[in-house]
Amino acid sequence: MQLSFAENASFEDIWTHIEEKLESGSGFFLRGTLVLVPRERFLHEELEKLQKLFHAHGLICRPTTRQDAQSAPVVETKAGQHKTAAGQKPSEQVQEMVVVNRTLRGGQEIRTDSSVLVCGNVNPGAQIIAGGSIDIRGTCRGLVHAGAAGDTSSFIIADHLMPTQIRIANLIARSPDHMEMTERAERASIKDGQIVIEPIER
Amino acid sequence: MSKIYVITSGKGGVGKTTTTANLGVGLAMRGKKVVLVDTDTGLRNLDLLLGLENRIMYDLIDVAAGRVNYKKALVRHKKYETLFLLPTSQVKDKTSVNPEQLVKLCEELRKEFDYILIDCPAGIEQGFKTAIAAADTAIVVTMPEISAVRDADKIIGELARAEKEDIKLIVNRIRPQMVESGDMLDMNDINDILSIDCIGQVPDDEMVVTSTNKGEPCITMEHSQAGQAYRNIVGRICGEDIPFMEFPKETFFQRLKRRVFGD
Repeated sequence: MQLSFAENASFEDIWTHIEEKLESGSGFFLRGTLVLVPRERFLHEELEKLQKLFHAHGLICRPTTRQDAQSAPVVETKAGQHKTAAGQKPSEQVQEMVVVNRTLRGGQEIRTDSSVLVCGNVNPGAQIIAGGSIDIRGTCRGLVHAGAAGDTSSFIIADHLMPTQIRIANLIARSPDHMEMTERAERASIKDGQIVIEPIER
Repeated sequence: MSKIYVITSGKGGVGKTTTTANLGVGLAMRGKKVVLVDTDTGLRNLDLLLGLENRIMYDLIDVAAGRVNYKKALVRHKKYETLFLLPTSQVKDKTSVNPEQLVKLCEELRKEFDYILIDCPAGIEQGFKTAIAAADTAIVVTMPEISAVRDADKIIGELARAEKEDIKLIVNRIRPQMVESGDMLDMNDINDILSIDCIGQVPDDEMVVTSTNKGEPCITMEHSQAGQAYRNIVGRICGEDIPFMEFPKETFFQRLKRRVFGD
């Protein structure tokens, strides 16, 4: 999550507002969220204070320079876990992302060359075929194919990852016949020529 | 302001027509002016459930083609004076009516009736598209069964594509004992996938079969559990806040009987 602040707001104001929001438990700040704060906006000690505040509420606060911040919304989840996207190829920093703000239901399909962010569920019978990575803020029960053009560094993240099939680049993994509801967010990626699934912090 | 509902499901045999008939009778029992439109051309059943088959003179196809005024095709229910049926043809097929014709017809019906309930055919083809064209609200009927839930999910997607945003869910033919023993999907499983507003949970009830054969919807039967569930749905449609009914637990003797004699 990228935070931006009004130019003329004082640090005290910002501090109290953020604290209020965190204490209110409104669910706006979810535990485990990566919060990006512009580095040049604050003094060094102010940044430390903010980091402590977020940390106390289970969020990860990271100061970013302006350039980072610009690419952050695009490769938001990559910024934390996936260094290659940010560092390896500069041209990839401005990759596009398709955002789907609804639940994908059976028979619906998303087919794109870019990455996909779904704010909703992917139901059984739905398909996502993406050139890049796939991030699902909800339960994934459909068929997901990341890196469809052959990009083996792409990955799939979901709050509850229980798809019928996972495909990354040219690899296919099938779910076990008796799938249990997963408690934590998980990420599927390719390691040593195999699709592996591991729990992650959100 | 009158409202147009379409009752749909995707999968066949989950109880679209039964639901339509029951809701129609239920609304009429409350004194509302109701018309039920059967769009399942070629496989019409709604007239049977209402016991009106022998009174049909003209049908939806005649009206859509402009051969007769819709008033001539309407069949008044023998018991509930404010309930009408607009039957369809048993000999033609679904290509005989197109969406524009149904929209036009419903606009006319709107002037006269409080509720217009459209009984949709199974499937997602032409007949489905025609049936949903005029509706303000869609009621998706499903069963606690994986295939019915999948099809309902697909239908909800299709409805969204047709820009029908107001979608309600009715879960039909629930067997509380099977749900309890974990052999049947429960409401949580269904909500997990469909995540739309549920307005009814109807238990499986043998009286539904008897009432279908008699041509008298079970909503009129005082002691029918399904009838009670339908009465609750009618209340919710009329804007009342009614909690979902509790299904009675199996008594010791029933369980013993089931153990000894089997199901």
